[in-house]
Amino acid sequence: MSEETKALESMIGEEYKYGFTTDVEYEDFPKGISEDIIRELSSRKEEPEWMLEFRLKSYRAWLEMDEPEWFNATYTKPDFENLLYYSAPKKRPSLDSLDDVDPNIRETYEKLGIPLEEQKMLAGVAVDAVFDSVSVFTSFKEKLAEAGVIFCSISEAIKEYPDLVKKYMGSVIPARDNFYAALNSAVFSDGSFCYIPKNTACPMELSTYFRINNMESGQFERTLIIAEEGASVSYLEGCTAPMYDENQLHAAVVELIALDHADIKYSTIQNWYSGDENGKGGIYNFVTKRGICKGNHSKISWTQLETGSAVTLKYPSVILQGDHSIGEFYSVAVTTKKQQADTGTKMIHLGKNTRSTIISKGISAGESNNSYRGEVKIGKKATGSKNYSVCDSMLIGQSCGAHTFPYISSENASSSVEHEATTSRVGEEQIFYLMQRGISEQDAISMIINGFVKDVLKELPLEFAVEANKLLDIKLEGSVG
Amino acid sequence: MSSVSTKELIHAYVQLPGVLRENFKELRSQAKENLDTCAFTTKKDEEWRFTDLKSITSNKFESVDTGIAQADLELDEYHLPEAMSSRLVFIDGNFSPSHSAIEGMPDGVIVGNINDFPEHEQLRSHLGTMTNYEDDVFVPLNDVNFQDGTFIFVPKETVIEQPIHILNVFTHRNNPHFVTPRVLFVGEMYSKATIIEEHIGLSDNVYLNVPVNEFRLYSGAHVHHARIQRDSKNASHISRPVAMLDAHAEYHSYTICLGSKLFRNEPRVIQNAEEVDFTVDGLVLIDGEQIADTHSIMDHRFSHGNSHQLHKVVVNDQAHSIFNGKIFVAKDAQKIDSFQENRNLLISDTGKVNTKPQLEIFADDVRCSHGATIGQLQDEEVFYLQSRGLTEQKSRELLVYAFALESVESMAVKSVEELLLKEVIAYTNRD
Repeated sequence: MSEETKALESMIGEEYKYGFTTDVEYEDFPKGISEDIIRELSSRKEEPEWMLEFRLKSYRAWLEMDEPEWFNATYTKPDFENLLYYSAPKKRPSLDSLDDVDPNIRETYEKLGIPLEEQKMLAGVAVDAVFDSVSVFTSFKEKLAEAGVIFCSISEAIKEYPDLVKKYMGSVIPARDNFYAALNSAVFSDGSFCYIPKNTACPMELSTYFRINNMESGQFERTLIIAEEGASVSYLEGCTAPMYDENQLHAAVVELIALDHADIKYSTIQNWYSGDENGKGGIYNFVTKRGICKGNHSKISWTQLETGSAVTLKYPSVILQGDHSIGEFYSVAVTTKKQQADTGTKMIHLGKNTRSTIISKGISAGESNNSYRGEVKIGKKATGSKNYSVCDSMLIGQSCGAHTFPYISSENASSSVEHEATTSRVGEEQIFYLMQRGISEQDAISMIINGFVKDVLKELPLEFAVEANKLLDIKLEGSVG
Repeated sequence: MSSVSTKELIHAYVQLPGVLRENFKELRSQAKENLDTCAFTTKKDEEWRFTDLKSITSNKFESVDTGIAQADLELDEYHLPEAMSSRLVFIDGNFSPSHSAIEGMPDGVIVGNINDFPEHEQLRSHLGTMTNYEDDVFVPLNDVNFQDGTFIFVPKETVIEQPIHILNVFTHRNNPHFVTPRVLFVGEMYSKATIIEEHIGLSDNVYLNVPVNEFRLYSGAHVHHARIQRDSKNASHISRPVAMLDAHAEYHSYTICLGSKLFRNEPRVIQNAEEVDFTVDGLVLIDGEQIADTHSIMDHRFSHGNSHQLHKVVVNDQAHSIFNGKIFVAKDAQKIDSFQENRNLLISDTGKVNTKPQLEIFADDVRCSHGATIGQLQDEEVFYLQSRGLTEQKSRELLVYAFALESVESMAVKSVEELLLKEVIAYTNRD
């Protein structure tokens, strides 16, 4: 095993290795949710009046909504009255130097290997690290500023760029969109904001590490990415979380807006704590992610590797509004132990000659359940549009389940939709063939699985792809055979 | 979509018989209870999301089965030459002995009216045992209302050579009415039969047709089952055909949908033992304002099963096609090979297609796949035919004809195939 893989292995961990907690004092904030709590939250964050209005409107909408139950998963519903809706490291660090950051937090980042340090700048990764709720450090700011790119926390954006936030926040995912999006809109704590100006290619890959740290704090991230005419950006998101017995809720909202000829690529590796062998603990990952190809010839591409969380409900979608716009969804979802994942995408074709591609690979092992749920809709005016979907499932072991629920509809005679799906397992013949070539069984299985997910992982940025492959191997080690 | 509850659907729009009918009292009283307790709204229900029930809710249907069929009706043109002595005819749901002809059946075979064998052991032990549709009002409606129906019993190792033709005809009546055809088929070990089930509307009047079929195939039994729906273009047809298969049984069904304004078909095949083979094919040709909805379930409960589904659809005008095909593989039902394909040809700008093929797999050593496409005729193909001297119109007709042909060719009975070819031509050639 090479040094590099060893290092990776130690980083990714066969058992969940990020289950440490950091001792940071948290500001006192009452539990539960009410209009007063939202007012308090908003005022502590020193938000303008319109933001508070947005939150309150969302909260009122949320109150009228029922918690969804249509998905293929069962779990204990979160107790919304018992959640802490605001948590921030007490000592707010100044942004001038790393030395000002709380040493405990810095230690956490070092354990995680987040490239916050000076030398990591050379790796070309700008990191906006979200420690629980408040951004503690943002690097590469100057370099991005030179290109005119705005990359900051959403709280900062609300203060610094109110016009942009006002114009776009909630325009793709309205507060009333769904139960968890409404909740997020009411109480979101922080997140990332990214604006790429006209005809600008973002000079580096943007990345954010999220980390849930406080035992009772549900994380309500809010991400907003706007690519102006002719702009392009690649955004990376990676997640880890500490090991706790109590289920933790994560209800993020991510909105992407691509104008004429713009191109947004959004990649995620999700490896939150998935609970123990008995399904105890683990994160609830109820995320609303949606992009809109607003302009002609624009493109939005989602790539995700979902390996963690006890329950995942996630459907990154694209609304193809501009003519000739392109939507892509590449996903690998791995479930082991008692994990439940219900994930997929929506491609809504509204503009003429729009294209979408969906490649989804599900791997279920242990006693887990893995569902693909997708919707492809070709509207009446979306003439000449095309969709191609493949969703393959692989089952490992006899106690897991794989499910496919694709909704396909077309109201247009000049468009075409193709969908195919298969469910199978790692073939004995395939393993035998590789073994008779001198490859060990474990390596053979790993090769077959890597082949199975190759179409998706090749879409990940390089530095993620290596990690992703290793993560898969380790995740599935011991479940095959 | 209409937000009517299905309970309301039955109680408000369908007039049920006032007193319980004579035979099968137990089944009927249970069904009546189910009708009274079942209440889910169609709008919220996932299974009814896309289906517009307007053609039911804009009418009030009365019961018309008098037990007496119209004896002087001229039906010769609908008889199949292969089934001249193996034919059961039902007119508006009433069995017509004068139109039917059952002769020369092998020993022990029963082909007749269900109402003539109320105490038959096979009938009593099978009727109503396979139709466990969840939250359903249509099976109970049939249970409560059916008077006449088809009962076929094929004893062990018996082969019925001639196809059995079950002909349901619907005459012109001024008032909207509803009919509940019923079929119970019991095939013992290694028996073999071919069933042609037809629904024909003689006029264009409004009626509600709610057939329920139960097919029980014991070990090694073999059935070819063609269902041809040529109901009146203003009728609603809601059917519930179920087949339950024991080891080594083979069941191949082909449903052809041509008529009715609303067609909702929910075929289910249940694998009840190891080693079975079945087909649930369908062909839907719709235009005008027709709605054709197929919700099928291929339920693999044991290991070593083969199943195949090819559902082809052509949508023209403002027609709307819905498909939801489920493949279930239960835990430990290993070595299942199941394939499902839904191909939709959308040839008008105002038509609509919703499709949702669905896999739910709980066993790992299986090969299950599905495919769904929605598309139109390829310009290259049309051009090719035009370059051979055909007009564009003719070229398109020919291509649609070819698309439908694959399903028609699966028919085991020659005259049925010919009849369907004529129907396909009539559909494609609209002038």
